[in-house]
Amino acid sequence: MKEFLALPIFGVTLTLLVYFLSGKLKEKLDLVIFNRVLVSVILIVAVLLNFNIDFETYNNGAKYISFFLGPSVVALGVFLYEKLEEVKRDLKVFLISVIIGGIVGIISVIIILVLFNAPEIISRSLAAKSVTTPIAIEITKITEGIPEITAGIVIITGILGNAFGPIVLKKMGVKNKKAVGTALGTSAHGIGTARAFEISASAGTFSGLAMCFNGIITALLAPYILDWLLSFA
Amino acid sequence: MLKSLIYIFCFLFLGELIHYFFNIPIAGNIIGMLLIFLALFFKMIKLEDVKPASDFLVKYLVVFFIPYGVGLMVYANLIAEYWIPVSVAVILSTLLSLYATGAIYQKLDKK
Repeated sequence: MKEFLALPIFGVTLTLLVYFLSGKLKEKLDLVIFNRVLVSVILIVAVLLNFNIDFETYNNGAKYISFFLGPSVVALGVFLYEKLEEVKRDLKVFLISVIIGGIVGIISVIIILVLFNAPEIISRSLAAKSVTTPIAIEITKITEGIPEITAGIVIITGILGNAFGPIVLKKMGVKNKKAVGTALGTSAHGIGTARAFEISASAGTFSGLAMCFNGIITALLAPYILDWLLSFA
Repeated sequence: MLKSLIYIFCFLFLGELIHYFFNIPIAGNIIGMLLIFLALFFKMIKLEDVKPASDFLVKYLVVFFIPYGVGLMVYANLIAEYWIPVSVAVILSTLLSLYATGAIYQKLDKK
């Protein structure tokens, strides 16, 4: 049986099937906590633990699915080009906000971890926690963290932003819809963007673009900011 | 579809190639993303030539990182040990970044 499960078709089929089922669940119960990625991950982990299958065995097939992260990051470049037209008029304000917000996100997560004396490997894995998962995973490979930890935390960050982002911004007096969209995309990537689209189409577009730009900014800056801050630790 | 997929793969290939040979601390796929953006911006390639595959990939982006999320199970002990600093860092940092971005945008937009 072990040998059979080690065939790539097991990991591939399980992943796609579970993702499909997570969509059915989301249709029935439309709550943030039933985020499709979160539900899929939990279901797959439950199947693996229940049948005593290790991650390596599953990943024999699942790695063919994660391979597509590479091309999908390239595809985000196409998305960026297509949507850029819509922010052209506000480009300067948009870029300044995303750059500052993005840097605040990187610096604050590292400083808090350092203050708590958390191991360096955790800081190295969380520096990119606000950017879209495929980019965050690549950044973590470069900062020499653990990509699996990054992926898990990035998803949780997204759910946090999706669930509480708009209400927090409202309480703090941020009402401008473009500002709300930009903030959601910068701090909570694609999962935050899904929420921004519920607010308005323009908030969604700003959020998607902010997600792409913060991905680029974080990819360029996170390795340097991380080394600099860790040198004080 | 095939043509657009080939375009995407070629840009990814180019990005990985640059990353590999010039040893830049930026991942190959991010270099590929910047290059395809520039190629579109300077009209070296046409949007309709890359759009079908790129729309598909962006649509199913979340599926592709599910295996990494599952991989977290291997590190469950490490996270369990440090769950307090990790939770505080993630929550505070997300809120700070959210507020900083939104507040700055709103302030600058009024001018």
